[in-house]
Amino acid sequence: MPNSIKLKGLLIVTLLPALLLYSIFVIIPIFWSAYYGFFDWSGISESTFIGLDNYKEALTSSIFWKSFKNNLILVVASVFGQIPIALGFALLLRKNNMMQRFVRSAIFFPMVVSTVVVGLIWGYIYHPQIGILNQLLEGIGLGSWTNSWLADPSINMYAVSIPIIWNYIGPYLIIFIAAIQNIPSEVEEAALLDGATGFKKLKYITLPMVWTTVKIAIILAISGSLKAFDQIYIMTGGGPAQSTELMATYMYNNTFMVYRYGYGSAISTLIIIFSLILIGISQLVTKRKNDDAG
Amino acid sequence: MRKYVIISLLLFCMLFFVGCSFSQDGDGNEDGDNNDQASISIWHNFSGEDLRAGVVQQIIEDFEEEYPDVVVDAQAIPVDGYRERISTAAAAKELPDVFLGYPGSFTDEYYEGDLIQPITPIFEENPEWEEGFLDEALDIFEYDDELYSAPVAISATSFLFYNKELFEENDIEFPTTWTELMEAIDAFNELDITPISLGNKEPWVAQSTTFGAIADRVTGTEWFMDAVEQDGATFTDEEFITALEYFQDLVENDAYQEGANGIDDTQAQQYFAQGNAAMIVDGSWTISGLAGTVSEDVLEKIGVAVFPEIEDGDGSGNTITGGPGGGFLLNSKTEGADKEAALDLIYALSDEDAQKAIAESESLVMYDVDIQKDEVSPLFYDTFNLLKDAEFAPVYDIYLSSEAAEEVNNGLQDIMLGSDLESVAENIQKAQEK
Repeated sequence: MPNSIKLKGLLIVTLLPALLLYSIFVIIPIFWSAYYGFFDWSGISESTFIGLDNYKEALTSSIFWKSFKNNLILVVASVFGQIPIALGFALLLRKNNMMQRFVRSAIFFPMVVSTVVVGLIWGYIYHPQIGILNQLLEGIGLGSWTNSWLADPSINMYAVSIPIIWNYIGPYLIIFIAAIQNIPSEVEEAALLDGATGFKKLKYITLPMVWTTVKIAIILAISGSLKAFDQIYIMTGGGPAQSTELMATYMYNNTFMVYRYGYGSAISTLIIIFSLILIGISQLVTKRKNDDAG
Repeated sequence: MRKYVIISLLLFCMLFFVGCSFSQDGDGNEDGDNNDQASISIWHNFSGEDLRAGVVQQIIEDFEEEYPDVVVDAQAIPVDGYRERISTAAAAKELPDVFLGYPGSFTDEYYEGDLIQPITPIFEENPEWEEGFLDEALDIFEYDDELYSAPVAISATSFLFYNKELFEENDIEFPTTWTELMEAIDAFNELDITPISLGNKEPWVAQSTTFGAIADRVTGTEWFMDAVEQDGATFTDEEFITALEYFQDLVENDAYQEGANGIDDTQAQQYFAQGNAAMIVDGSWTISGLAGTVSEDVLEKIGVAVFPEIEDGDGSGNTITGGPGGGFLLNSKTEGADKEAALDLIYALSDEDAQKAIAESESLVMYDVDIQKDEVSPLFYDTFNLLKDAEFAPVYDIYLSSEAAEEVNNGLQDIMLGSDLESVAENIQKAQEK
């Protein structure tokens, strides 16, 4: 018993500095910004208390809901794009030979490129006149498929999702490979003896064994796409006519372009609340699936 | 257990010291008052390697040499992040002593927030300096009969740059009226040449460069000023809808290249410079932008003119939207020796010599200076002289509230996507009413 108390003490003491910094720079500002949300404040002049008006305005603003819908498109793109693709690559690239290591690095590469650069690169790929994508389509005789990818509101939200998927496959790939390599070889051998190969082995052994990791990856994907900002801000700035507006770009534009600090703070608080709700839902959904699988 | 207590105490001490050393250099204001030494901080956005940035940084260095007992802490912040940096500093009450401000709603906010103080003393000391400014240069920085800044730039936003070669080769007449402009647009479209290059990804571009000029020609300046004050004119008036209609005309006649809402202003300038488009309506920043990126023989092909006149409009046809650009503001908390030094620094940065040096670095100023033809590029020389003969018309986003300006920006993108004019006008009106 004394040993475990000792261990706990050590844990608390070593975690304390990090926790303290985290509280000062993350947790306290969250409450601070929720508090600012109660004020009509330009960030510069005097502020006046207006109760829940900012929150009401955000929740009744059509742009806010449009940006929430756009965030949901990103969530769907991330959860059903990034994770299956990353899992698929992880299954293919689990061995450690030269070729596979090279492909792995190639897939991880976009992750180390600055997100601003990613935005700029894809901005040029999508460029309506000189962009690679349109020129490629014309080159292979699909000239009628060319489009102004970022300017046409009916497709631009999907167009901006692709760079984000591309950007973040890398880290999930690494997580999944680690999870797959952690499956005990005894289990695999036993499965082999029982005649589980190929798809069967994937369904009854591999997937259940990495499911916890997949769940964590889903949470990361959801929270990541709810706070998505940089690539889209660089590619479209939330436009044209707010068609690719995300909650984060809407918050940014209101805070820094229109000088509504109070309203912007209220939106940031709503982003946190919505994120928590979505993560809660995803937890419930994946939990049930887990029970089914088990 | 005692070991952990000691460790934790040590960790706390470390945090404490780290915190202290940060806060020490954060506030340089106080230590100046103890002796005669003044210490001032200045933030501006003349960063990077261009000519104008070099001139401004040189002026600050010369100032430090001339006043050895003044410590100047200068920070050059890139233009793109400048507004955010300044407003964050203002929210945290950590503004520098002197900082570059933009006229209009930006400075209004700081004035209303009591964050700046007048610089009238330097105008009183140097009466001949004040006379050198062009008409209206100082009005916008005047609040309650006190001047808060002197502009060191012009923001002129609606020049019509054109590719002389494309007009000559295809035998198309250069348009000086709206009808001629429409004819030129049709003619270029038939030749598969983009008539006007536009990069409206950041949505202020169409508003600032094109729509302001159209609207001023249609409604006249007076109507706009009344609408800003919401005094006998509103943005749902017929005049304003007509102005929006003219813009819609441009869009519907394919004046702009496809996907103009998806590329930015710089890309549009490149597109124009590469000879893909016959014209571009853009601001004074285009000159330095082009000078830095394209070769000299391309630059020689580019001509500059005012936007065509609109025959049925109420406004003058010879206007360029624009007005005073940024000027230096003085923090209201700066006092004593620091204030004296700060005023001297502001004067050094905006006096006649400074204005001339800035103009010679190919940047337009709001000051009556003569520049020699052989000292600057032909395009800058032509633009500078064009500006001396033209009148100024208001830039929309300088006078509108920032919310209404945002509505105009988004509304023009909406129109480019096919939205109806009335609802756009209504949104603008609603935002300006607030």
